[in-house]
Amino acid sequence: MIQPLSKSIVIWTMVIAVLVVLSAPTIVVLGASFTSGNIIKFPPDGFSLQWYAKIAMAADLRNAFLRSLAVASICTLIAIPVGTLAGIALSKYAMKFEKTLQIYLLLPFTVPLIGSGIGLMLLFGQWGIIGQIWPIGIACCVINLPFMIWAVTASASSLDPDLELAAANCGAPPVAIFFHVTLPAVLPGVISGSLLMFILALNEFLVSLLLTDARTVTLPVQIYNSIRSIITPDLAAISVVFIVCAALVIALLDKLVGLDIFLKSK
Amino acid sequence: MSKAAYPLRWRVMDGLEAVVAALWPKNFARALPYVMVLPAILLVMLLVIGLVQIGDSSARTLDRSTFLPSDYYTGENYGRIFTDGLYWSILWRSLLGSLVVTSVSLVFAFPYSYLMVRTPSALLRKFLLIALFLPFFIGQVVRAYGWLIILGNQGVVNEMLGLIGIEPMRLLYNYPAVLFGLVQYMIPFAVLMLAPALTAIPEEMESAANSLGANWWRTFVHVLLPMAKPGLVGAGLVVLTLSLTDFAMPAILGGGSQDFIANAIYDQFFRTSDQGMGAALTLILVGVGSLLVGIVFTLFGAGTLAMGREKK
Repeated sequence: MIQPLSKSIVIWTMVIAVLVVLSAPTIVVLGASFTSGNIIKFPPDGFSLQWYAKIAMAADLRNAFLRSLAVASICTLIAIPVGTLAGIALSKYAMKFEKTLQIYLLLPFTVPLIGSGIGLMLLFGQWGIIGQIWPIGIACCVINLPFMIWAVTASASSLDPDLELAAANCGAPPVAIFFHVTLPAVLPGVISGSLLMFILALNEFLVSLLLTDARTVTLPVQIYNSIRSIITPDLAAISVVFIVCAALVIALLDKLVGLDIFLKSK
Repeated sequence: MSKAAYPLRWRVMDGLEAVVAALWPKNFARALPYVMVLPAILLVMLLVIGLVQIGDSSARTLDRSTFLPSDYYTGENYGRIFTDGLYWSILWRSLLGSLVVTSVSLVFAFPYSYLMVRTPSALLRKFLLIALFLPFFIGQVVRAYGWLIILGNQGVVNEMLGLIGIEPMRLLYNYPAVLFGLVQYMIPFAVLMLAPALTAIPEEMESAANSLGANWWRTFVHVLLPMAKPGLVGAGLVVLTLSLTDFAMPAILGGGSQDFIANAIYDQFFRTSDQGMGAALTLILVGVGSLLVGIVFTLFGAGTLAMGREKK
């Protein structure tokens, strides 16, 4: 179909505006991290890797990053079985109270993050587990669980139930059917869901801010605490770690399931 | 052939089948889906217990002499919120801001999703997807940090303005800066919610409208918009609730002068140490958020947010 010129102009103007606004912070952070000066200027004063050398030596930043990785891994490891089972059950079976259940499982999404964070902070405080890493992982898992369930239900609904019946007809017992028919069918959803869970937990800021103390700050919280005092280029260098992680996850998503999965209509 | 000659995998599977069959007799089959969602229910239960805790705290006032929450229940915190003009202005600022952010994000997300879905070029589609996911996956704090570099007094924009002889302006720590940061944060969410809805609209619909004499604007208004409604509802809802309750952008780009509700809550807990007051504010925010979601759901249905089986 040939598009009228005016339509193309309108669309492209808006898309380019969006592209500029979306990528500006990333590009600027990348540029600032390579500066050879002591303050952030744009264009940068010259090229150097000194700030990377500096953050490599900074134990507090390194530990904060390792803690963020631990939080993201715990979150993902819990989310995979929990979200996969729930997603398959929701998309395959007719259940009583299905609507109520859906609304209930959407709660992490409808309850504002600050509400979830404060609630979990009070709860974990009462249980005396604040100051440890794993509760933060669990908290990140709870607040992002709908993403995992959506991802799994999206691919489970394309699973033909007749396939499972056919397998049973050929003599496959239930566990074999689950591992050989059901699970492979929802695997793209499981993969995209768990990558999402990982990267969202790695970046999680507000809930971490509420659940961490001085011993357990995660990297986003550490960056937040530092930008409120003074903006130095080492923060840009450490932010590049997040940019690299994001790029890795995108590459993995594209390779394993294809980015187009997010464009599919349910 | 003896059983030992079977590959290990077969024997493991047989063992698993036997264990499952023993633990889970066939006539329990109807309970299976409930058992499968049970872990998810328990996980979300943490949130519910947390909300109950908030409710409990919100009904206790801070005893100014001992700095401990009272051990009796009172509605005093809520009374103070409703009479104190400060909270009204914060609530109003958050509501107005999130409405502006939602409309701007949807307006810009629509052509982006449309181009991404409709373009015949796989390369362009991939480029648009990557440009969308990269900021989405980088997190709010880093992005806000990028804006500090760009919009600061010695930032990129002011340097460029300086080149053409314009005095540096204060671009940060005001309301528009917060809204701008929020729009940038929300556009990926909006596009990702809209794109599946646009994919579901057959391209032939547009060709048909076209051949019946509608220009592209009329096709957009009378065909695309109505058919994309579920996606618009889903995207609008997500953007509205996320920006209404955001903490990082007002905190970083607003510099303390442009607090949204979440910032006020945080301050009650960590600056004033008035837990009851913070809890009351939190509960009101949860209430306002749920009310918005409820209104949109009843008016338009769950849109693209529904989980699970399609309605037959």
